[in-house]
Amino acid sequence: MDLRKTNKKLAKRFGGAVRAALSDGCVVLTGQLPTWAEVVEACQLAATKYGNLHVVNDIVCDEAAPQKMRLPSLRDSALEGRRPDVLIIGGGISGASIARELSKWKLDILLVEKEADLALQASGRNDGEVHPGVDLSKGSLKHHYIRKGNAMYDQVCRELDVPFHRVGQYVCFDKGWLKPFIALYCLWRRTHDGIEDTRVISGAELKRREPNLNQDFKFAVSNPSSGCVCPYGLTIAYGENAVQNGAQVWLNTAVLSMEVKDGEIKSVHTNRGTIYPTLVINAAGVFAEDVARMAGDRFFSIHPRRGTNSILDQKAGARFSSIASIMELARSRGHSKGGGILHTAHGNLLVGPDAVETFEKENTATRPQSIDTVFAKQEKTMPTLSKGDIITYFTGVRAPTFEEDFIIEKGRKTHNIIHCAGIQSPGLTTAPAVALDVEKMAVEELRKKKSVAPNEGYSPIRRGVPVLRELPDEERAELIRKNPDYGVIVCRCEEVSRGEILDALRAPICVPTVDGVKKRVRPGMGRCQGGFCSPLVAKIIAEFLNVPLDEVKKSAPEANITFGRTK
Amino acid sequence: MREYDTVVIGGGPAGLAAALSARENGAKTLLIEREARLGGILKQCIHDGFGLVRFQEKLTGPEYAQRFIDQVERGEIDTSTLTFVTRLERTQAGFAVTVVNRAGVETILTRTLVLATGCRERTAKQVSIHGTRPAGVFTAGTAQHFTNLLGQLPTKRCVILGSGDIGLIMARRLTLEGAKVLGVYEVKPTPSGLTRNIHQCLRDYDIPLHLSHTVTRVLGEDRLTAVEVAQVDERMRPIPGTEEIVECDGLILSVGLIPENELAQSLGVELDPKTKGPVCNGQLMTSVDGVFSCGNALHVNDLVDYVSESGELAGHAAACYAPAPRREVALRASPALLYAVPQRLDLNRDNSKTTLYFRSREVLDRCVLRLRVDGREVFSKRYPFLRPPEMERLDMDFSQFELSEHSKIELDIEVTGHE
Amino acid sequence: MSELVCIVCPRGCTLRVEEEGETLQVTGNGCKRGADFARSELTAPMRTLCTTVRTAFPDVPVLPVRLSAEIPKGQIFPVMEAINAVTVDQPVDMGGVILNNVLGLGVDLVAASGLLRPADG
Repeated sequence: MDLRKTNKKLAKRFGGAVRAALSDGCVVLTGQLPTWAEVVEACQLAATKYGNLHVVNDIVCDEAAPQKMRLPSLRDSALEGRRPDVLIIGGGISGASIARELSKWKLDILLVEKEADLALQASGRNDGEVHPGVDLSKGSLKHHYIRKGNAMYDQVCRELDVPFHRVGQYVCFDKGWLKPFIALYCLWRRTHDGIEDTRVISGAELKRREPNLNQDFKFAVSNPSSGCVCPYGLTIAYGENAVQNGAQVWLNTAVLSMEVKDGEIKSVHTNRGTIYPTLVINAAGVFAEDVARMAGDRFFSIHPRRGTNSILDQKAGARFSSIASIMELARSRGHSKGGGILHTAHGNLLVGPDAVETFEKENTATRPQSIDTVFAKQEKTMPTLSKGDIITYFTGVRAPTFEEDFIIEKGRKTHNIIHCAGIQSPGLTTAPAVALDVEKMAVEELRKKKSVAPNEGYSPIRRGVPVLRELPDEERAELIRKNPDYGVIVCRCEEVSRGEILDALRAPICVPTVDGVKKRVRPGMGRCQGGFCSPLVAKIIAEFLNVPLDEVKKSAPEANITFGRTK
Repeated sequence: MREYDTVVIGGGPAGLAAALSARENGAKTLLIEREARLGGILKQCIHDGFGLVRFQEKLTGPEYAQRFIDQVERGEIDTSTLTFVTRLERTQAGFAVTVVNRAGVETILTRTLVLATGCRERTAKQVSIHGTRPAGVFTAGTAQHFTNLLGQLPTKRCVILGSGDIGLIMARRLTLEGAKVLGVYEVKPTPSGLTRNIHQCLRDYDIPLHLSHTVTRVLGEDRLTAVEVAQVDERMRPIPGTEEIVECDGLILSVGLIPENELAQSLGVELDPKTKGPVCNGQLMTSVDGVFSCGNALHVNDLVDYVSESGELAGHAAACYAPAPRREVALRASPALLYAVPQRLDLNRDNSKTTLYFRSREVLDRCVLRLRVDGREVFSKRYPFLRPPEMERLDMDFSQFELSEHSKIELDIEVTGHE
Repeated sequence: MSELVCIVCPRGCTLRVEEEGETLQVTGNGCKRGADFARSELTAPMRTLCTTVRTAFPDVPVLPVRLSAEIPKGQIFPVMEAINAVTVDQPVDMGGVILNNVLGLGVDLVAASGLLRPADG
C-alpha cells in the first residue's frame, strides 16, 4: 500500500484532522473527527483489500464516547485457578463451532460467554441465510471459506439435528435489458470464482417457482445452494455437542483483562476468577478488537454495523418458500445487499436486514426507520408483503473490520492466541469450515507444548428435543405414551408441549430462563409472542428449579419478570 | 373412533354456552378445552360486573363461569380438558377433529363444529413499539394472569398503554395490590374502554388518562427502566418534539384484541376484515357448511353476556343443522358502522328472530340507526348516544321484509342532532 | 349542577344532578338505579371490592374473593390491608365466608371461585 497516497486522500477529505502511519505492521489512524460516520469513512479510505495489513482506528471521535462493555452482575470465584488447554472467548457461532471441533481431541476446553445464553448477539440476531457466495470475490477469506462452509451444512445439520433447508435464493431484476450482462456475470462467477450453481432463470420460471413475487420481474439469478437455518438453534446445538464431548460452557462469564508477558498470555481475569489457559481463542464478535488489545495483539479494528430484521406470521410464510430480493441499480452505498425476504427454518417470513454504521457495539434497540427502509425495498420484491403480518423485530450488530474480511490467524505478537475476528455475513455459512481450520491451528499450537491425543469418546451426533408438532400422529402418540407431558400443550401458537420444555431444561446446556426455553423449543415465538404461555413457562421453570416463581428470569439474572407475591 | 353430533372447541363463556345449548337441542356434544380448567379467560377476570344483562346480578368472572360449568358438569356433555386441537379436516359426513392430550393423539368425528376459540391480545411489536427487549413489558392479560392466578406482582411502577377495558381493570387491580400506575396513555382522542371503567378504575384512584398519546419506545436492558411517550397527531403519528421519558419498571398493553381463527382458516372459512372473525349468517354459520362461530372468535365483545348469547345461538344452530342449499343475501354495514354481525342472511332459514350486533365507528350523540332494503327504509331506532367501545344489540325480524338474494340490505347511522 | 357517569351497568349513562333545596334532582339516567347511584355518589360514595386472598395451597397461591356488599369508597385500602393479612388454609366453596364483618363495616369477605371447593362438595 502507498501510505503517502492514503495520507494525501485523507488530507484532502479531512484537512489534516486525520493521519495514517505504519506501525507494527498495521495502518494506524490517529487524529480527531466530530462524527462516527467520518471516522468510518476515514478508515475505509485507508483500508486495502485482501492483504494482511489492517486498519487500526485510534481516531478520537467527538460523538462516540468510549463504550464500556456491559458486564454480568455475577461475581464469584467458580473458575479461579482453572488451567484449561483452550479458553474460547465468545459463545456465538464461531466459538461454539470451534469448541465442538476441538472436542474431537482429549483437551480441557473452556468456553466463556458474557451473556446469559449462547448466540445472544450477532449469531442470534441475523437472518439465518446459508449463503451461496455469489457476491464474494476470489482472494478474500470470505470467499475461501464460503463454498466449503455451504457444502458442509447438510452433514453438520444432520449430525446436530438442526433444521436446514436448501430453499434457494433469487436475485430478481425488473429490467430485461440487463439479462445478457447478468448472464455473463454469472458465467464469470461460475468459472472464475467457483460458484458453480449460479444461473440466470427467466421471469416465467421465477413465477412458476414463486408465484407471489413481483409480476414485473423479467429474470433472476438463481442460487440453489442457498438455504436457511435457525442461527441460534445451530449455535446452541454446536455448544451442546461440545459439552457432550467434554467441553465446558460457562455463561454470564466475561473476560475483564489479561496478563501478558514475553508474548504470552499468562492469565485471564474474569468476573468468576482468574484462568490460566494454554491457548486462547478470540471469538468475541464486536469485542474481538478489545480482546486482542487485552492480549497485546491488536492489529485490526472493528466498526460495528447494525441490522434489523422483522419476523412475519407463519400465515405470510405460506406465501413464499425461498429467499429473494429485488436488485436495484441505483442503490445507496453500503455493505449489505439491503436485505431480502426469507422463508425461515420455522416457516415464518423474515424481512431484512438493513445496515447502519454505529459506534455502539451493544445497542440492539430497534428503530421504526429500519423497518420502514427495508419494507420500502422489499415491497417491490413481493407486493403482498404487509407490515400488518409483523409479529416481532430485532436488531443485531455485525462485527466487520475495515477491510470487510475475516481475520482467522494466530496472534502476531502474542503467540498463544488465535483470532477468529471480523466475522460478519456470511459468517454463519462459513463457520463450519472456519472451525475446522481453527481446530487445526489450535492443535498445532498446543502440540508445541504437550501431546494432543484424539478424544476416544467423541461423537459428532447430538439429538435435539423432539418437535412433536412435526411428527406423524402415530409417532407422536408413541412419544406421549412414554411421556404424557408431551401431550400437554403449553404454547398454543407454536404447539409446544410441557414435555418439550422440560427436555430443553434437561439439555446439556441448561438455560432455565423464559428466553432460554423460548430459543430452544419455541414457546412464545408465535403470533401471541408469549402472551398466553409466558406465565406457564415461568411456572414450569420454577417447579423444575424448585424456586419461587419470582426467581425465574426473562434472560439475564437482572431480568426480573415479577417482584414476588402480591400478598 | 368417537363420533359426535357437535364438537365445541373452546371452554370459555362462548363454548360453555354453545355446548349447553347444543346438548339441550338434542346433539351428542363434546366440549374441548386446552387448559386444565373450564372458564377461559373468565378464570382470571376476578372483578365484578359480569352477568348484569343475563342474571341481573354483578358477578365476578369466576362466579359467572361457574354457573355454566356447574350446568355442563351436571348435563350429559362430554368434556376433554388439557386437550389441544391440532388439526381439522373435512370428511364426507362432517369433520375429523384431531386432538392431543396426556392420553395421546385421537381423531374424533363430528357432524358439526362450533368454534369458540376466543381472541388474543395485540402485542407491543404489533403497535410498533421500538427500543430494547427488556422484561417488564406485558399485555394486560398476561399481567392479569400473573396477578390474579399466580399471585405475583408483575410491576411496582407502571405505565399502561391503551384504554381498553382490560387495561383499565388492570390499572385498578395493580393499584389495589400496591403498585403505582403512573398513567394510562391512549393513542385515540377518545377512550377505548367502557365509560364506567374510566370512572371506577381510573378516576376513583386518581390515575391520569392521557388521550392522543402513545408509547414510542421502551428503555432498559434487562428489566424495563423507562418508556418514551409522545403526543400523536390526528393520524395517530407521534409528533416529534413532544417525547417525554417516564421512568417505570412495567409497561402494560391494552391495545386491542384479535379473534383467534387459525383453526377456522385451516378449513377455508371466510373472514371479515372488519371483525377479523368469520363471515356468518343469522344462524352464526360460517362460509363452510356445518361450521359455526361464536363469542370473541366471531367478533370482540365487551360484555360476556353477549358472548354467552352468541354461544347459545351457535350451539342451537349446530345441533339443529341439516345440510341444505343456501340462499344468502349480504347485510351491509355503512361506513358509519365499525361492523355489524351477522354479515349475511340465509333466506332458506328462519330469520324472524335474528340478533344483530353492531358498533358505531365514532362517538355519536343523538343518532338514529336505519335499516334500508333496496334503498327504502324499513326500520329505524333512535339512540341518545353510540360509542364504539359499547356494542349494541338488536333483535330483528327480517322475515317481514320480503327479501330475495338480490335485495340490497344496508344498516346505516345518521346523526339527528337536537330536535 | 354536577355531572357524573353512572357505573351501575355497562351502559355508562351521563347523569346530571341539580340541587333543589333539600333534594337532588337527577336527569340523564336510563333507569331508577342511576338516580339512586347519583344521590349516593354525591353524599356517601360506595364501592364493591374484588381481589384475591393468599392461600396455603401451593397449586392455588391466591383465591379470588369479593365483599358481600359495597363499602364506603374511603375504606377500600384499609380493607385491602385486612384481606392481605388473611391466609386461607381450609377448603372453601364459592360463596363461603372467609372473614366476617370486615373492619366492622358489616360486610363479609366471601370466596368468589370454586377453586378450593371441598372435595365432597
